[in-house]
Amino acid sequence: MHEALLTLGFGIVTAAILALSAVAFTLEYGVTNVANVSHGEILTVSAYAAYVVHQRTGSAVAAALAAALAGGLVALAMYLSVIGPFIRFGATPTVIFIATLGVSFIIQNFLVIGFGAENVAYTIDPGAPQNIGPFLLTPLDERIVLSAAAITLALYFVVSRTKFGKALRAVSQNRELARVTGINATRVAAATFFLAGLIAGYAGFVLAESVGTFNPYFGFSFFLITLTASVAGGLGRPFGTVAGAVMVGIILEFAGNYISASYNLAFAFAILAIVILVRPRGLFTNARRTVFE
Amino acid sequence: MSAYLVSILTEGSIFGIMALGLNVIWGWAGDFDLAYYGYVAIGAYMTLVLTIGPPVPPAEFILGLQLPYPVAVAGAVATSMAVGLVVGLIALRHLRGIYFSIVTLGAVYVMYVMAGQYVRLFDGYNGLSGLFDPMGDWFGFDYQTYQYFFLGLSLVCFVLVFLFMARISSSRFGMALRTLREDERAAAAFGRDIYRLKLKGYVLGAGIGGFAGALFAAYLSAFNPSAWSPVEVIVLYSAVLVGGRGNIRGVALGVLIMGVLVQESTRFLPQIPNHPQVVLALRGAIIGLVLVLFLRFRPQGLLPERRYIDREPAVEPAPQAT
Amino acid sequence: MNIPAVATALEVRGLSKHFGGVYAVENCSFQAPLGQVTGLIGPNGAGKSTAIDLISGFKLPDAGTILFKGRELEGLPPHRISRLGLVRTFQAPREWPALTVIENVVMARWDARRESFFQGVFGLGRGQRAAAAEERTRAREIISELGLDAVRNERAGSLSGGQKRLVEFARIRMAQPELVILDEPMGGVNPVMGERMAMAIEGFIATGTSVIVVEHNLPFIERVTQHVIVMAQGTVIAEGPFESLRSSQAVVDAYLGEVVSDGKA
Repeated sequence: MHEALLTLGFGIVTAAILALSAVAFTLEYGVTNVANVSHGEILTVSAYAAYVVHQRTGSAVAAALAAALAGGLVALAMYLSVIGPFIRFGATPTVIFIATLGVSFIIQNFLVIGFGAENVAYTIDPGAPQNIGPFLLTPLDERIVLSAAAITLALYFVVSRTKFGKALRAVSQNRELARVTGINATRVAAATFFLAGLIAGYAGFVLAESVGTFNPYFGFSFFLITLTASVAGGLGRPFGTVAGAVMVGIILEFAGNYISASYNLAFAFAILAIVILVRPRGLFTNARRTVFE
Repeated sequence: MSAYLVSILTEGSIFGIMALGLNVIWGWAGDFDLAYYGYVAIGAYMTLVLTIGPPVPPAEFILGLQLPYPVAVAGAVATSMAVGLVVGLIALRHLRGIYFSIVTLGAVYVMYVMAGQYVRLFDGYNGLSGLFDPMGDWFGFDYQTYQYFFLGLSLVCFVLVFLFMARISSSRFGMALRTLREDERAAAAFGRDIYRLKLKGYVLGAGIGGFAGALFAAYLSAFNPSAWSPVEVIVLYSAVLVGGRGNIRGVALGVLIMGVLVQESTRFLPQIPNHPQVVLALRGAIIGLVLVLFLRFRPQGLLPERRYIDREPAVEPAPQAT
Repeated sequence: MNIPAVATALEVRGLSKHFGGVYAVENCSFQAPLGQVTGLIGPNGAGKSTAIDLISGFKLPDAGTILFKGRELEGLPPHRISRLGLVRTFQAPREWPALTVIENVVMARWDARRESFFQGVFGLGRGQRAAAAEERTRAREIISELGLDAVRNERAGSLSGGQKRLVEFARIRMAQPELVILDEPMGGVNPVMGERMAMAIEGFIATGTSVIVVEHNLPFIERVTQHVIVMAQGTVIAEGPFESLRSSQAVVDAYLGEVVSDGKA
């Protein structure tokens, strides 16, 4: 039982990072209806940015900020140069999906050119593990969970209370209708991507710190798990996504612990496939999706 | 003919077969199937475990028979089709569009992880090797001559697959597949069993992929997860897209173009010492860029799908009773 | 309700379907007579499209019976219903865009043997080729009859809305079903085409196909139908020849909301 609780605790940390990445992905999907396959690369680029800044300044805070900013800029660039133009051109979701796959590949290769393909060690002293209730967490873990919670709360306020949040929700629900009421859908989408990128960038920093090492492909692997959490929570619904992330994070942690960590991704996909087959609209709705309905 | 040219043409023929198989699923049935390369890999792996004999410890893998190459190829194709059937049964029932693509991505990822991590299957990351000059001993070829023989074999196989695809394309079965791509609801309203028809197309595509994989294994004499890299996959899909999805001549053209692009795009760049991956990465980035540009500016590819022109004279309508 | 003893092409009894607590179709019952054109009209949201989806197998009914040629259709998938002889169109023209007009028409008939993988690909016998040739000839005749000969070899996706509808009609003629359900065929079509479409519908009847037409265009309904069913709020509120419905209070009430919002009297 004790071990189960420990695993649960680790699961919560994984879930926290996953929630950040998944919420960002869901924001991107919500405002454009596009599954951005290069989402993982936002995390990768941000991890590199954090690493470089940390090397130069020795400050983890500066690194975190650099990661967030890099993430925001990369996401914005993705929207402005690829996703936005493809939407305006009238491409189908599948075509844009493939295009973002291509973008993902391009970014990975550019990172290899710039930094090489080898693993980069990013070690930060996590501090000594402490007992928090039934869990065993390091100060680093605590910081991760707390900052994730804080960011999620901040996001909740932005989305539900600000004018921008209102516009975001309008565009997510019905782009044409939002346009008619005078909202500049393109600007809202671009700003949302920037915001999503900030969050994903921070998640990249945290993930790299937490795992201790990364390479040009690490974001893509994490993206697959992110996708699982997002689909589980319901594509396009940010707060279902958080719930989905918590669930997936915990399940993965248990599976990794009791079966084998190297099959992690395969598990993520097994979960994803099951969710899509049984409840494609996410675990928290009643809608069934058949080929014709 | 230089050895370089021989190997390029051989590899091109094999890729051509791969691309034609993908065309059945993506070009004709219209489903962006990310699991396809998995069927190629399965074909390669199965061919090897059916020909290279029992494993020598510490290597571990299943089967390890020493069957003649053609028999192994048949076994490989059958296995690919079986796996394709399983994936298709799940993915094609209710899913379309990106949901379908994501589930097939999951399927191929599971295959990849199983091949790499589950050592007992195909010896994990070491992979399998040892398929040297299959059928060479039947004719007593030496090494040099064998290269030409295998080139000839690959070309013949490509031509046969091409002709087979041409036959399917103009047959009612092929047209029925395309109606599914064009408008599924209308196809169902006119009597097509969508699920079954898509499954047939999917399994057919998987089988062709497996066949290409079988040839690929002989060409490489080995196969392991590093031969299963993103570059190969992206080049394959780009070839089908660039050439013209749905048009078998287009697909052949796409393979030619991507092949040339891959080989020549970085030919004139110097190798940077200590960083051999830079050139490869640059090539990868260029290929990705080509893919994105074509998606934006020429998604139908260079050669659009052919249509049958009916040249018979018009028929006068029968006089109507008003 | 007194229904004259005419053979029925289709009978629907107590059909119901709800979505999340809202009944789109509720206890809907009607009969479509054989050999006639039956109209299905009603204000927006009356449940007509849902009823058609239920009948043709694209949605599953929650309750009710659908009788066609002595068989119950509930639960059957669309392709099986189509193979039994019930074909439908959709609100937007659903041609196969990349296929040419003649290919569209030829593919309207499901041929089990020639579309199977082995027969279709390897069966090159004389019987197959004769069947294919005969089929093409028939397709050409139908295309001529509907005035589409000029665009025979054009990709169907490049045609105008009205032409696409005619291609759909050509497909129906080719398939020769016992019953065809047309879902708003005049939608998005130039009114000038109306007469051509009316004639095409008469052509269906002449070749043995009964017709059910869902339409908002009431003059068109008046022109082509012999029997009209009116739906509102998911159920049938009136039935009879078009003339008789003008004076039906129930029908006027049902349309009143729509008429007022349309600004017509």
